[in-house]
Amino acid sequence: MSRTYVLRRGLQAIGTLLVIVTILFFLFRLGLPDPTGALVTEGLSPEDRAAVRERFGLDRPIMEQYVIYLGNIVRGEFGTSFHYKAPVANVVWEKFANTMVLMLVAIAIAYLLGIPLGAYLAWKRGTRSDTTGIVLGLMFRSAPMFWTGMMAVLLFGVALGWLPTSGMRTLPYEAATFFDKIFTLDFLRHLIMPALIIALFYLGSPLLIMRNTMLEVYGEDFIEMARAKGLRERDVLYRHAARNALLPVITQLAVTIGLAAGGQVVVEVVFSWPGLGREILQAVRTSDFPLAQATFMLMAVLVIVMNFLADLLYGALDPRVKLR
Amino acid sequence: MRPGSSAGSRPPARSRTAARTRYLAQALAPLRLIFHDRLATTGVVILGAVIVMALAAPLVATHDPRAIVERAEASWMTFDDGEWRVRTALGLDPLYDLDVRAGEAIAVGASGLALRHQADAWTPLPLATDATLWSVALGADGALAVGDGGAVVWYGDGPPLAATLGDADLLGVTWVDDGAAALIVGAGEAVWHLPLAALHEGVEALEQRATRLPSPVGRGLLLQAVAADVDGSAIAVGERGLALRWTPGEAPGSAGTLQPLTLPTFRGFNGLHVDQDSGRALIVGERGTLLRREGPDARWVEDPPPDTRALRGAWIGPDGQAWAVGRNGVALAFDGTTWRRDATGTERHFRAVVVVEGRTVAVGSDPFVDKLAPPSSVHWFGTDHLGRDLFSQNVYGSRIALLVGFLGAALVVLIGTNVGLFAGYFRGRTDTVLMRIVDVMYGIPFEPFAMILVLLFDPSLLIVILAISLLTWRTVARLIRSQVLSLSERPFVKAARVAGASDLRILYLHIAPNVLPLVFLELAIILGASIIAEATLSFLGLGPPQSISWGGILHNARLSGAWRTAWWWNVPPGAFIMITVLAVFFISRALEVIANPRLRTR
Repeated sequence: MSRTYVLRRGLQAIGTLLVIVTILFFLFRLGLPDPTGALVTEGLSPEDRAAVRERFGLDRPIMEQYVIYLGNIVRGEFGTSFHYKAPVANVVWEKFANTMVLMLVAIAIAYLLGIPLGAYLAWKRGTRSDTTGIVLGLMFRSAPMFWTGMMAVLLFGVALGWLPTSGMRTLPYEAATFFDKIFTLDFLRHLIMPALIIALFYLGSPLLIMRNTMLEVYGEDFIEMARAKGLRERDVLYRHAARNALLPVITQLAVTIGLAAGGQVVVEVVFSWPGLGREILQAVRTSDFPLAQATFMLMAVLVIVMNFLADLLYGALDPRVKLR
Repeated sequence: MRPGSSAGSRPPARSRTAARTRYLAQALAPLRLIFHDRLATTGVVILGAVIVMALAAPLVATHDPRAIVERAEASWMTFDDGEWRVRTALGLDPLYDLDVRAGEAIAVGASGLALRHQADAWTPLPLATDATLWSVALGADGALAVGDGGAVVWYGDGPPLAATLGDADLLGVTWVDDGAAALIVGAGEAVWHLPLAALHEGVEALEQRATRLPSPVGRGLLLQAVAADVDGSAIAVGERGLALRWTPGEAPGSAGTLQPLTLPTFRGFNGLHVDQDSGRALIVGERGTLLRREGPDARWVEDPPPDTRALRGAWIGPDGQAWAVGRNGVALAFDGTTWRRDATGTERHFRAVVVVEGRTVAVGSDPFVDKLAPPSSVHWFGTDHLGRDLFSQNVYGSRIALLVGFLGAALVVLIGTNVGLFAGYFRGRTDTVLMRIVDVMYGIPFEPFAMILVLLFDPSLLIVILAISLLTWRTVARLIRSQVLSLSERPFVKAARVAGASDLRILYLHIAPNVLPLVFLELAIILGASIIAEATLSFLGLGPPQSISWGGILHNARLSGAWRTAWWWNVPPGAFIMITVLAVFFISRALEVIANPRLRTR
């Protein structure tokens, strides 16, 4: 993998981001009517309304607004949230952290379970446990998460009363920093249900990818070779076949992490998790442009960066892949 | 190579068509493999069933999914161990009154319904009329019921006796003169005095010997209820605060006289009960009216009600404990100091309440909206917060799911396949531009983008389909492109090119059929994804308004706040989504084996 490849891919990623930022700007400015409607209280006089428009620069030509907007993004200024009346960045970072802690735990569970299970299913291919495993994996993938979430709340929250059903912490609580907030037992109790619901949904993907690549790897000569050497089937499975089959799973992992931020709006809604997804829903509902844009952009950046990493990872892990 | 063998030369038109047909048949042949896979066959059967359900929704659905269902029935509920329990209905006609005497109770209702209650069991009495019976009074010799159009029914020793007393609707009846006569009240301030002896003599005697007493008020108001008081007189109450006191006549056989009675409110009265031992009394009426009397000579006091809906039935015991029931499942209880409202878990309208052998029993019910009803033989999946049938909603929900699923998937595959074909075949600049667009698409997270799209433009079916298809074609395009890249290097493509076939001809007639299995695989995968995407958007409240979909049902459930108790509301839509998508995935797995023969292991 050459340095020019990395550079070229990096530039491409930046270009992609620029295009998305542009689409976003015009979609918002042209798609919605007068944004001052969301900004000011009703019954404000036209003069005051014009003053508000001027203060937020909404009276300038659209192209000028676009250039200002690009400049602000480069400087890392995302404006002031209409709703919170505070800099968007402050709002977004906290929500982002909330989402990521949930999603990373969920993805970790899914992959730590899915990879060995997938390898096991490939080993047992054609048997009853293979079929059962596939059907279960597909079932978790077919069940919409908002529904499994609601079912879990009904069962463990309402009927059995084991776990809390909403939020990140039992209110009221005091936490000086983010880590104060999450390193508690109370937080864990809030985390279990949403994290497991997301993990179950994601489980199917590493499981099935792992199983299918394992089947492909099984057909190759070096497996025959390992068997011929008299290795135990278990060693052939986990030491030789599984290692080589991991590649597509790891790429998929990177992509999944990238999509995590934009991840699971519905789960955050069902469990009232104060994350990015719930925030963007709220922002779009209240026509809070700066907040919706910044949230969306953050999600897009993460996706692009992780896709980029996935590409590089693929090249680094598989020496057979020659990247120009 | 399978296809393309006849493409170069120009055979006559007829055989060209035949060749084309054969050629497509060859391309589609591997699809038969689906039926070799048991899971895929299951998938086809399930998906087929869902499609049939969607197409035949009006036939499958038991109700109009949008219609608010009203139901009338002979409801009764009992108060056991501190809570009300609605018991199995006794029929489809509402019950309107219940009277009790010495451990025996009789209930009457619409269409002349009369039931005897003994030891927790009900036995129907023979029908004597088809008029609605509004009130019943149990005496020493039998029960007297009165109803619409002056209907009077006497259940004595022999067969029931039905007669007519005037033409006014009769709404209340009680025994006076130590059980020697009945006092009957009704519409138009009608008050009848009916000697018991007349009941024994037959219909004609009954009509001749009954006396209609002149009302001292004379405003033609409705008298709703009447009850004997402990001093031998009786009280009748009615609409607009009307109350009359009946006093027996001095001479034997006299019908007695009526005087107006002033009570501390002018609200309408619906029910009345006087305890014959202690002289305590309770009157109930409109807007939670509760009038209580602590003894025969005590003053009437108006109690503050815990619920302001109309009350219909009243009961007060010798120890001062009292009960009142009314519309929408309202049940109140008085413990001697304060009134409380008990949960009944029903919206049924109750008409009367009595205490029989230490147990409180209430009866109803007029047509009521069957809100949040658990599954029953009428509503297989219960009803929602507006009383709409959930089974029918689920059946109709399959239409939106499949419509959006198939249209979305078709659009996605159409865009994706064409982009993939062009990028892979023409390469160079075309490929670069198209693949850069695909890269941008990969940078956009789906859910947030769909949300923004749906909210920027008014939610509609079209926007939902567009939101799904505008992004998801990226995967298809990439997959098809890589396949086309290798296909276009194959000899049959070169042969076609040498034979002078145009680019488009090669692309669509030679290369496209070879990627068909892959296209079908993607179609199936995206069909499942579209169904989930539509459900997700509808669940977030961003789906097409006024339409019924599985996601929308769950959205309503969450919005109503009742989803934590009404499990029958939440479970079926999600299960339908899961089963449908699962069926599609089963099929797609078989297609995957066709598209990628290396997976065909054993």
